[in-house]
Amino acid sequence: MAEISIKKAISIALETGRIMLANGAEVYRVEETIERMIASKHSAPVNVFVVSTGIIVSTEIDGDPYTVVDRTPSTSLDLEVISRANAFSRLFTDDDMTEEHAEIILQGLRNHPRFPNSVRYLFSGAAGGFFVLLLGGTFIEFLSAYIASALVVMFTDTLTKENMNFFIKNISGGLLAAGLALVTVLFLRLFGIFASYNHIVVGPLMTLVPGVALTNGIRDLISGELIAGSVKIMEALFIAIALAFGVGVVLQLSLAIIGDLSWI
Amino acid sequence: MDIIIQSFYSFLCVMGFSVMFNIPRKQILIASLNGAIGWSIYLLLQSGSASFIVPPLAGSIVVGVIGEIAAIKNKQPATIFIIPGIIPFVPGYGIYNTMYHIINNDFSQAIVSGSESMFIAVSIACGIIVATSIVKLIKESLPA
Repeated sequence: MAEISIKKAISIALETGRIMLANGAEVYRVEETIERMIASKHSAPVNVFVVSTGIIVSTEIDGDPYTVVDRTPSTSLDLEVISRANAFSRLFTDDDMTEEHAEIILQGLRNHPRFPNSVRYLFSGAAGGFFVLLLGGTFIEFLSAYIASALVVMFTDTLTKENMNFFIKNISGGLLAAGLALVTVLFLRLFGIFASYNHIVVGPLMTLVPGVALTNGIRDLISGELIAGSVKIMEALFIAIALAFGVGVVLQLSLAIIGDLSWI
Repeated sequence: MDIIIQSFYSFLCVMGFSVMFNIPRKQILIASLNGAIGWSIYLLLQSGSASFIVPPLAGSIVVGVIGEIAAIKNKQPATIFIIPGIIPFVPGYGIYNTMYHIINNDFSQAIVSGSESMFIAVSIACGIIVATSIVKLIKESLPA
């Protein structure tokens, strides 16, 4: 069995870390994984430094310093990939894996299975819809939020595929969520059904609002990862600003057209 | 009775988010159950006290402990059970309210709901860290 060369091992570890980071793994987990993977094939001390946007790995090979820097694009949260990368790193450290085998698994990580789009939208609707019920919404509000959430996720997914800037993406998401809620509330009014705007809008927004990012950022800060934590909180802040902008535009427009917001 | 219905809703809500976050299929049920348990704890404590910090703190400790134990049992990273599990009490509505008040020029209300969201997020983060530490302590005594 061909031993994996040190440089190859480092590049495999880096690729694994990059995939994990790009799919929303915590910084400390990526650092630990890369360090463990390299240390299993290499005796010299390894330094791994990870921030949300890049990875730096530095070690010594035959007395010479060897450093690799990798820029990582940030994408969405995908926990399946993190779980698989985790399993792969364990396998890599425990066994003598051949290079080809490692490459095949890495390839599989890149093209991991996802839920079919229809299932994804169905459940995104459930995510937003049932959240409204948790806040004490009525059935009609649940139904409106369900449809709006599915539409918003469908819309932001499309924007993500187009590599849209995250700020613009969230502004448009907020616009769509607020617009849909406004239209629904006004439409239901025609039939004399009262539905709360705040309840309907929070469902689709919940699929965009950076609550998890904020919480994870604080968690990083508390565990001493000051840079990673600050980066994540900053990201959460700007997503919130973008959403506020989108929602605000719709509210101001309706203020200008309808006259007052007391009906909300 | 209310709590049973609410925990059912939170089960489905967390399940929705689990699919959105693309959790490994076999683990979705555990993650959703975890979220439902966390939300029931949250509601139980919320009806018993006026504090807005204790319920999310206790809820996330429970979610964290269950998540960590499930992670050890199923050989998965704990995040995949914890991130969806905390969704029901993550301050998404609070962040929205803050934005809403700012848009309406109501800055004092914005500060109230903004700092409330901040403290809720801090308490959830603390809860998860406490849970991780607890599980680290009892890890050896867990049946394999």
